[in-house]
Amino acid sequence: MQLFLQQVVEGLASGAIYGSLALALVLIYRATRIVNFAQGEMATLSAYLAWQLHQWGVPFALCLVIIAAVSFVMGALTFRLMIRPVLGASDHTMVVICIGFFVGFEAICLWFWGADPRAFPRIFPEYAWTIGAIRLTANNLGILVSLCIMTLGLSALFRFTRIGLAMRASAAEREKSPLVGIQVETMLMLGWGLAATVGFIAAVLVAPSLFLSPPMMVSVVIYALAAATLGGWDSPAGAIVGGLVVGVAESLCATFIGFIGNELKVGVPFALMAVILLVRPQGLFGTTAVIRA
Amino acid sequence: MRMMSTEQTLRGAGALTIALALLLVPALFPNFLVYQFSLTLTYAIAILGLNLLMGFNGQISVAHGVFFAVGGYTTAIFMTRYGMNYLATLPFAVAIAALLGFVVGVPALRWQGLPLAFITFGLAVLGPPLALKLEPITKGATGISMPKPEVPTWFPGNQDTFIYALCLLGIAICVLIAWRLTSGDTGRSLRAVRDNPLIAESLGVNLTKVRLAAFTTSAGFAGFGGGLFAIVNAYVSPESFQMTKSFDFLVGAIVGGITSISGAFIGALFVVFLPDWSADMNIALSGLIYGGAMVAMMLVARDGVVGLLGSLSRALLARLRSARDRGAAIATKTRPAE
Repeated sequence: MQLFLQQVVEGLASGAIYGSLALALVLIYRATRIVNFAQGEMATLSAYLAWQLHQWGVPFALCLVIIAAVSFVMGALTFRLMIRPVLGASDHTMVVICIGFFVGFEAICLWFWGADPRAFPRIFPEYAWTIGAIRLTANNLGILVSLCIMTLGLSALFRFTRIGLAMRASAAEREKSPLVGIQVETMLMLGWGLAATVGFIAAVLVAPSLFLSPPMMVSVVIYALAAATLGGWDSPAGAIVGGLVVGVAESLCATFIGFIGNELKVGVPFALMAVILLVRPQGLFGTTAVIRA
Repeated sequence: MRMMSTEQTLRGAGALTIALALLLVPALFPNFLVYQFSLTLTYAIAILGLNLLMGFNGQISVAHGVFFAVGGYTTAIFMTRYGMNYLATLPFAVAIAALLGFVVGVPALRWQGLPLAFITFGLAVLGPPLALKLEPITKGATGISMPKPEVPTWFPGNQDTFIYALCLLGIAICVLIAWRLTSGDTGRSLRAVRDNPLIAESLGVNLTKVRLAAFTTSAGFAGFGGGLFAIVNAYVSPESFQMTKSFDFLVGAIVGGITSISGAFIGALFVVFLPDWSADMNIALSGLIYGGAMVAMMLVARDGVVGLLGSLSRALLARLRSARDRGAAIATKTRPAE
């Protein structure tokens, strides 16, 4: 029982990371109906940039702030230069482009920093509390709190600001929004930038435990895809809940099902994804799209 | 009518050039390159399968490396464990890969488009660790090595040439099947499902059945390519079937041109020879070129190199023809003056 609860806590912490990357995926999907397979690789590049800046002697907190802004610009530019020209093309085209980003961004990291894993500085102190029989590390708590803050911040942005409203409008009605004076393409660009920043935060949270290497986020992207599918692609709250569920399921399966172990953990989100697609393809919180023939 | 015949002439000329070039390979290149060309042909088979799926049926798979691996392992295991003849293992390689394709296709195909991409993407990531983990069957990281095929006495050439000839025969069969599938009623229903599923369905095409059949066949092609790959390489291990293999096939298909059969050869050449060539400069270069090629092809040339060549030669022909017509017009104009 103690091991079980401990694994749930661990699972929630990693689930929070999957949830944040899933949130980035959902932000992009809602805005542009594209599933950005390369979200993780873009985040890895950002994390490398932050690491490099820190190596050059810039204080770590300042690095994070600067690179969060850089990530935003990178996401926005990626959209402006390479997605906008083909906006509205088939899913097929978009998947190929995103796989292209995936391969390309990973190659950029490999090009500049090589394949050796590098230690990424921890944000949260090495401290742990013991509550009952469960150990709660400051890192795990910090990750969960970061997720909460990020979620609240994004909700507030979408709910209470003019720009958030415009972003929601252009995601929902791309043709009609210009009629009320919304610059749809700017809003979509902002969406991509925002998603890149959110992805960067996920990478910063996960990098200390996974070590920084070009393929660092590959498995995390699978978890995030599963989380978003589970939660429903049009629901940011669903992405978070999906992420937590996937994290806990992964941690429990890896501990209690001998065959899975550490190497096949990535099979858990895959199986969850297959099941949810069979049973409830729109996800737990998603809505079914009505298609007019 | 005339446009049609030009098109056909162009295609025929392209196919003939490729066939001639393939036949001349053993005569022109040293043994090591002949081996490389054999690998190219096995890749081309998998890419051909991907073209059938993506170009002619409008579905995407990011996991053809996994089907390829399943084919490769099937051949290797049947050869070493059951002492089967290498040729006899190939039908099993096809069948088992196709079966996996079927199993994967069932949950994904009911919801077209993106879910298929997620499931196949997940499969591509899951494949290599699974091959490591299933050690009793796959021998884990050690891999399985098996004997290279013996050259029969009647064959006028060395081992590499013989294996190359085998691959050539294999791909000839695949091209025939692909050509047969893409023409006639089967081809029409495949393309109808791609171009307008609603109309196809209302005309009596069973969408799920066609899509599932296309996916299964395509996986079978990849399995066949994988089986031949195992024979060519005489060794399989998780190292030979990394996640990037799936992306290699995707890049090859896109670069060559997904709506053509000959594109598969061009794409395979690209993904076999580019990494060798670029690794001298930087190991990351091929990845950068792959990524760039995928994005660039989607932005400017969705029909790949074959599509580009086609439109170039059409433009050239049109220019020649208009020049000739103008010449004729001038000739008729000047005639009365004589």
